[in-house]
Amino acid sequence: MKEKWRLLKTENNTASTNMAIDRAVIVANSKGMVSPTVRFYNWEPPAISIGYFQSLEDEVDLDVCRQLGVDYVRRMTGGGAVFHDKELTYSIVVPESHSQIPKNIIESYGRICRAVMKGLKQLGIESKYVPINDIITDGKKISGNAQTRKTKTVLQHGTILMDVDVDKMFSLLKVPNEKIKDKLIADVKQRVTSIKHVLGEEICFKDVAEAMKTGFEEEFNVELIEDILTEEEIELSRKFEKECFGAKDWNHKR
Amino acid sequence: MQYKSVYKVPNGKLLKISLESDEKNNYIESINITGDFFAYPEETIEVMENELKNISLNRERLLEKINSIIKKYNIEFIGLSAESLTEGILMCLK
Repeated sequence: MKEKWRLLKTENNTASTNMAIDRAVIVANSKGMVSPTVRFYNWEPPAISIGYFQSLEDEVDLDVCRQLGVDYVRRMTGGGAVFHDKELTYSIVVPESHSQIPKNIIESYGRICRAVMKGLKQLGIESKYVPINDIITDGKKISGNAQTRKTKTVLQHGTILMDVDVDKMFSLLKVPNEKIKDKLIADVKQRVTSIKHVLGEEICFKDVAEAMKTGFEEEFNVELIEDILTEEEIELSRKFEKECFGAKDWNHKR
Repeated sequence: MQYKSVYKVPNGKLLKISLESDEKNNYIESINITGDFFAYPEETIEVMENELKNISLNRERLLEKINSIIKKYNIEFIGLSAESLTEGILMCLK
């Protein structure tokens, strides 16, 4: 019998709600209240997330965010700033002690990224893991990933780009040197791709989610059972949203 | 004196330091270590920033102190290292 993990699909949440749910699931899983969990989600409105160690005001043009109605949030994971627009975001929460999870952090990045790669393969896209935290196809990035470990529990979340607007992304992000901004944008256009660009057609969230479900099931040899957040998780995520991800203290802390 | 540096860690991530030093640039008065690297556990970066206060801006002394903080708090860097953090800090003075 295959081990059963939980699958959540929570579409159209705000940036702070999304990050709060990820943290709530870590707490619930670490207390043994829920099984290991894979979640697929997106961002409504579109949002910038920054890595735990980044300076919000160094990385993000907050005025442009306000003008364009783009949300922003500091993640609990390290890594870089990401513009979440047309994408599927996944998160996986599993105990550090689980036999499927390598103890070594870098190795566990690779293992979880392989699930994403298997999902992409379901869509007919061949891809490759590039350490530390990228997945590329035809030499271009299609997925970025970030991991944290808290209370002996692993959380990894990452993006799978369904479409990408590099110009809009750069209107929201600050660059260290304005003089080379045009060149930087041209470079990034060469280095980033999306499911739409690779396949030449749009694939909807539901179909990407179905492909990713298969990818995670195959990689971890589990069955994903669709479920919803528990009452406790909803309560916890409201608390984390209020005290942390929706609070200025947290988002502006660096 | 206030300084900033941006340092691309070889085979690693982008490190951004902002530093306040005494007038003679002998020691660190305060420091912010930001960037797109990874450190586990994450909260130890604030501990690192605190422990680097009043530390001499001398390569050997700095590296030794950073290594001892890493050991004491069991910090794991990815895309960053004690050596590259030292380099990024000293780059502020160039």
